[in-house]
Amino acid sequence: MHHDVELDARGLNCPLPILRAKKALNGMQSGQVLKVVATDPGAVKDFQTFAKQTGNELLQHAEADREFTLYMKRK
Amino acid sequence: MNAAWVTGGAFALAFVFGAVGNRTNFCTMGAVSDWVNMGDLNRMRMWLLAIAVALLGSSALQLAGVVDLGKSIYPGPNFTWLSYLVGGFLFGVGMTLGSGCGSKTLIRIGAGNLKSLIVYVFLGIGAYMTLKGLFGAFRVGVLEKAAVTLPAGQDLPALLGLHRAVPAALIGGALLAFVYRSREFRAGFDYTLGGVVTGLVVAGGWVVSGVLGHVAEHPETLQEAFIATNTGRMESFSFVSPMAYTLEYLMLWTDKSKIVTYGIASGLGVIAGSAAYALATRSFRWEGFRDAEDTANHMVGGMLMGFGGITALGCTIGQAVTGISTLALGSFMTFAAIVAGSALTMKYQYWRAGA
Repeated sequence: MHHDVELDARGLNCPLPILRAKKALNGMQSGQVLKVVATDPGAVKDFQTFAKQTGNELLQHAEADREFTLYMKRK
Repeated sequence: MNAAWVTGGAFALAFVFGAVGNRTNFCTMGAVSDWVNMGDLNRMRMWLLAIAVALLGSSALQLAGVVDLGKSIYPGPNFTWLSYLVGGFLFGVGMTLGSGCGSKTLIRIGAGNLKSLIVYVFLGIGAYMTLKGLFGAFRVGVLEKAAVTLPAGQDLPALLGLHRAVPAALIGGALLAFVYRSREFRAGFDYTLGGVVTGLVVAGGWVVSGVLGHVAEHPETLQEAFIATNTGRMESFSFVSPMAYTLEYLMLWTDKSKIVTYGIASGLGVIAGSAAYALATRSFRWEGFRDAEDTANHMVGGMLMGFGGITALGCTIGQAVTGISTLALGSFMTFAAIVAGSALTMKYQYWRAGA
């Protein structure tokens, strides 16, 4: 999937993946896509809640090789 | 009564807490994070539900004459207000740096997080140094000097001259009303599961120590005793000093005066319960440090939790759920200080993100 900014959150645990994603999104334009790669087992739940609360859309998430890849569109 | 009933009971309850905590993502630091970073209150409601259930359950046990909460460490007359504030605040900083509080550290270890194993070691060492070592001198010589003696005890019924049922029902009822006012919370089964089970485990914990472990007159001392405890008092769940005593037990294994206590068994129970759930659901995964900064954060976080947890007499479970279930004023202060320390650390982390 196309993305404009990538955030490597591998090896980080809550709350850092969300904090760094939040900061990255703040520096992006509306409609741009952020790709996040994370390993925290709670990452998907956290990003689903983050999307619901902030209005930034979680376009897609997948798991492969013990890593979660998530795509989030800036509102 | 056999000490094995006490440690076995503590292990069994902790096992349930560990498994349910893993399934429901119960996390007190996560509760603060969701609130501060996203404006989502569901995990905070889960924590508050645990407090309400523990408070109402423990109060019912007290009023029915099953246990005497006054025999625990929380509602005593020595109101060390500065220790609650400083200890709680530093615990909140530490749990944010260390990927979670004491109980979450145990849950993460069970799920394969090696970073949390390092947090455990540093937390245990920090706690032991605060109990009996270098930090202990500072705790006793400086922080605990700022204290007020409340002769009747520091629990709200004694302070306000009220029957226990009144503040318990008012606070417990208000928390339940706040928690279940949310339609989303009502619709999420795991939210209720995590909160109710945690609260029931704490209330049940009093029964294990206060009934199974209670000896009216110990044959060796001829005094009342709560067997297989590190404090010598009636206990329920708390996770900081038990980590110190677990390390001590392992290091002094051949010292036959050292025994497996309620606290040691409860810590192991949480790890085992979380591991059982992770393996059964195939969610077990090894996790390691990302880099030097990540490593340092977890080491410092563990030490701060060890120091803060001992200084404030407990953690996000030990003070904020178990302590509040006794209605001790210091427990409410510690809860507020932990949340403040954690929230401010998250603000700092956000400012630093990407720097």
